[in-house]
Amino acid sequence: MLWIVVIALLAGCGWLGFMLLNAQRECRVLKAAHAEADEEIKRLQATQSQVIHTTKLASLGQMVAGVAHEINTPLGFVKSNVEVIGDLLDDYRKLVKQYDAAVQYCLQPVDLIFGADKASLDKLVKHVEDARRKLFEARTALEKSPLLKDAKELLSDATEGLAQLGSLVMNLKGFSRVDRDGMDSMDLNEGLESALMIAQHQLRDRVKVVRHFGTLPKVRCMPSQMNQVFLNLITNAAQAIDGDGTLTIESKASGGNVEISFEDTGCGIPDDILPKIFDPFFTTKPVGEGTGLGLSIVHKIVKGHGGTIKVRTTPKKGSVFTLSLPVDGAGAKQSVQAAAA
Amino acid sequence: MSDTLRILLIDDEARILRALKALFRDYETFQTTNPLEAVALAKQHDVDVVICDQRMPEKVGIDVLRDIKEAHPRALRILLTGYSDLKAVLGSVNESEVFRFVNKPWDNTELKTLVAGAGTIAREAPVIVKDALPQVEHDRARTQVGVLVIEDDTTVQQRLREILQPYYRVNFANTAERALQIMEQHETGVVISETEAGRSDLTALLKALKQHHPHIATVVITERANAQTAIELINEGQVYRMLIKPVRMGTCRLSVDSAIGRYWQLKQNPQAARRFTAARSTEHSLHSPLRLPAALLNRIRSLPGRLLGTARV
Repeated sequence: MLWIVVIALLAGCGWLGFMLLNAQRECRVLKAAHAEADEEIKRLQATQSQVIHTTKLASLGQMVAGVAHEINTPLGFVKSNVEVIGDLLDDYRKLVKQYDAAVQYCLQPVDLIFGADKASLDKLVKHVEDARRKLFEARTALEKSPLLKDAKELLSDATEGLAQLGSLVMNLKGFSRVDRDGMDSMDLNEGLESALMIAQHQLRDRVKVVRHFGTLPKVRCMPSQMNQVFLNLITNAAQAIDGDGTLTIESKASGGNVEISFEDTGCGIPDDILPKIFDPFFTTKPVGEGTGLGLSIVHKIVKGHGGTIKVRTTPKKGSVFTLSLPVDGAGAKQSVQAAAA
Repeated sequence: MSDTLRILLIDDEARILRALKALFRDYETFQTTNPLEAVALAKQHDVDVVICDQRMPEKVGIDVLRDIKEAHPRALRILLTGYSDLKAVLGSVNESEVFRFVNKPWDNTELKTLVAGAGTIAREAPVIVKDALPQVEHDRARTQVGVLVIEDDTTVQQRLREILQPYYRVNFANTAERALQIMEQHETGVVISETEAGRSDLTALLKALKQHHPHIATVVITERANAQTAIELINEGQVYRMLIKPVRMGTCRLSVDSAIGRYWQLKQNPQAARRFTAARSTEHSLHSPLRLPAALLNRIRSLPGRLLGTARV
């Protein structure tokens, strides 16, 4: 009987030992898998921030190209005007020289008068008449010359152009907020304007922009991220519109929130695609044309600010993206700040 | 009408118009901020040169210039734009056939020289109103005029062979060297070319060819057009058409047909070729013909007029 108990115990111990070894091995495997998963997560996070960074660079590139284009027109006429004004002034100086010559000619008789006889007096009278005529002509040429008026007009255009260039640069600074970082109180209408300016070259001759901007309280947010959201939504709308169309942007205060909607008359979003539009890397564009991150970044930033984003769409008629953001930035998470870093 | 050049200026920005008007104060200028008025103004004042902006809300510049080309072909057309997007570049070649593509901000001295030259050409050089030839003449032209394809991708070569071989006298070359050999032996009126073969650039060759033999019509076929290269091909290469790969049979045949027509008419009327004078490359050019090997450049220069149809010049 004892034998049987001892054997059973031994067998039990053996079995337990075996199980223990097994469990330890499994634990090691699990630990390794866990470490691997950790590694993978870290790698994914790194990739994600890399991708966000790349997208930032891509939109920076887009921004720079857009603004460069905007700058070329005022730069064109300011540069030309400044040169032409130089030429006009040279021409004006020639007129002044002619006037001066006429004055000199007038003064000659004074010298002659002193040693004059009858014959030369007659000549003198003729000279004086000539002189009067020349002086009159030179003076009329000076007075009638449009050179100074033209130069002034070109100068005032140039001044205006410089102001345009200045405001472009201001807008650009306002858009990127390079001089500020972190949370700030922001007038979202201003952000919309600067994003529109940056997207101008995509809209200009085909997409009509209708602004219904209400009076808004300032919103606690990360301004550079909000601008990114606006630019992405505007760009998306512009790309959804094939040919001519309208983008209507409406902003209004409602309760403790600010609501902004972007309504386009574009192609709309088909039902089967709609659930995926905020997924990272989802894109309907050909390879190489879109990162598939535009809307996912929008989503991430809006969520990070404690806000919501809704889409209403009718295929072939257009889409409306509506953002709602809390004014006090209440739901804003720490992660927003991390993502912005 | 007076002897001074008449220039039409079109831009939706009034300040640009005032700047140009002041720049061209020695000429007679007409201007409008409304592109829809442009065609009527060009005809009414019988202008010599048109300078037009690209981006305007009512109508884009390439469309304005295309309509002026139809309605008043005597005027030389210049696109002046702050936006060198590919659509504008391709349109200005294929539709409005601009004389020059100029970027804002422009250089006053260069623009003045350009307009003065263009004005003289517009007044002196005869106009070819339509490139397409009557059927009988076209059939004669395509049996006589050689079409040279410079392309090193064998698939594309094969595709072009299928499209072109049944209708034209086609020769194929995969290097600049081989292309010249063919041109030295056969009358070549149309050159269809990639912008590069292997790793070597072909645009310098195309520019040099056009600079010395302006009546040859070049059709550029390219995979991914870069705006800067394309603008240079317009200004320094006066390229006839620019097609993006993959090549479609219809567009390709149409382009080659009218290219043959253009060449054929320039052959009869060599003075008209002045309208397609290419600008000299500058040190800013990406691909200057001056960087071509001297031997190659010499061979391009001395291509016999007999084979190029210019023996009578």
